[in-house]
Amino acid sequence: MKDFLLLIRTEGDVWTSLSPKELQEHIEHGTAYIGKLMKEGKLKSAAPLDKGSRIVSDDGGVMKEGPFNETKEVIAGYFHIVAKDLQEAVDIAKANPIFRDIRTRIEVHMMKRV
Amino acid sequence: MQESKVKQIVDNLFRHDSGRLVSVLTRIFGPDNLELAEDVVQDSLVEALNQWTYKGIPDNPSGWLFMVAKNKALNIVNREKYKRKYLSDVVHFLDSEWTAEPALNHIFSEQQIIDDQLRMMFTCCHPSISSDSQVALTLKTLCGFSILEIAKAFLTTEENINKRLVRARQKIREDKISFDVPEGNDLEPRLTAVLETIYLLFNEGYSASGGNELIRFELCEEAIRLTEIIASHEAIKNKSNVYAMLALMYLNASRFKSRTSDRGDILTLAEQDRSKWDLSLMQKGFYYLEKSTADKTLSIYHILATISAYHCSARNFETTDWKSILSLYDKLAIIDDSPLVLLNRAIVLSKVNGPLSALKELKKIEENPALESYHLFHSTRGEFYLQLNDLKLASENFEKAIALSPLQAEKDHLKRKLDLCLKK
Repeated sequence: MKDFLLLIRTEGDVWTSLSPKELQEHIEHGTAYIGKLMKEGKLKSAAPLDKGSRIVSDDGGVMKEGPFNETKEVIAGYFHIVAKDLQEAVDIAKANPIFRDIRTRIEVHMMKRV
Repeated sequence: MQESKVKQIVDNLFRHDSGRLVSVLTRIFGPDNLELAEDVVQDSLVEALNQWTYKGIPDNPSGWLFMVAKNKALNIVNREKYKRKYLSDVVHFLDSEWTAEPALNHIFSEQQIIDDQLRMMFTCCHPSISSDSQVALTLKTLCGFSILEIAKAFLTTEENINKRLVRARQKIREDKISFDVPEGNDLEPRLTAVLETIYLLFNEGYSASGGNELIRFELCEEAIRLTEIIASHEAIKNKSNVYAMLALMYLNASRFKSRTSDRGDILTLAEQDRSKWDLSLMQKGFYYLEKSTADKTLSIYHILATISAYHCSARNFETTDWKSILSLYDKLAIIDDSPLVLLNRAIVLSKVNGPLSALKELKKIEENPALESYHLFHSTRGEFYLQLNDLKLASENFEKAIALSPLQAEKDHLKRKLDLCLKK
């Protein structure tokens, strides 16, 4: 089993783009999806990100810090999962119900473990 | 609603649900916070008592209780996250919006709760905890017994029981005992330890009366219930001994009610009214005995269960298949040559070959220091002498037995034997 970091990038904020009824369903689908991963023992952790992100960079020897607003893309949150290989991790990402609710890109990164 | 009625319902609920609740909360908080789990259950029950007195009993009292406990657990975890250490594999799910609800659903699902009770059994019966403490902790956490009830069952003080509980919880923390079902090669020996403790529990309930008979039967019932959980769990691969122990407990329990007369006197197997034997319990016993013989294992439980089965199948004391029972005791004595086994074997021998041969057997083992101070040794010998009409030696032995017997009910029983000798 290998560990994978999934970054959920959405176009805008799902909370402002859905109606109350749609939000309700979004939550239900998300809960079911995560519950299934949990039951199968594939989920290590998952959490949404809060607002107020910053970017720290070194620009020509000078430390810079600025707001995270380069694109209209928002990192909604992350998943840390275990899967037998990259393909399985990709399949898990594909099954995320967030795709139904808002334009989403999910990054699938294999983690290095000792 | 009337408070006493509500209290009764809450008490029943406690007995039924607290074991499951404590187990699942221990999964959340980790075994080092066992006492916290117990407190949350206690608080939930108090809340039930208070609310239901005013608002009435909800449609699903069990569900209500679980929901309250669930919310309390969630609050504690999120409020005290930096105050407390949680050696738990699921607690981190509870502080993320994405995973808190699905985690709670999953953790509180039926299968998980069954798994948690199994985990709790292995934790409570960990070999590094003393035997006394194992039993007390099992009764407190898994069976919903109060400290007072445990003290009554073991004929000791609440303070003593509390000490055992404190020591057990401390051991769990110090030795960092984990909350899981052992795997691989660890499983067999740990399972043996669990079965031993449960069997001890059963025998506390089953052994000659002294103390509240109702509580004693409940001990037997709890022992059986816990073993049923083990017997139906897929994590336990080799179930032969588990089935054998279940058979033994069911067969013995079926005879429970006939062992005391209406006045509360102890009745021997010969004196018991067999119409009082519980046939449905007996049937379960035979069912599990059958299942236990699927592979060729032969443990102490197998032998004892078969002996019990012979007694259960006999119409009366005289027509019991003593020969078969004797050969089983021969096998048993090889594995376990404890005084009680040797004594029981001698009694069976007396049925097969007469009291004289049994007395010869007792002569062989009388040097054993454990027997000299054992009241049943003397009462058994007295019984044989009585059968041979040697009233002098009979009464001497009964007098010795009366002096050594720890329980009043037994003393009374023996005094009646003594009177028999003196009247002749």
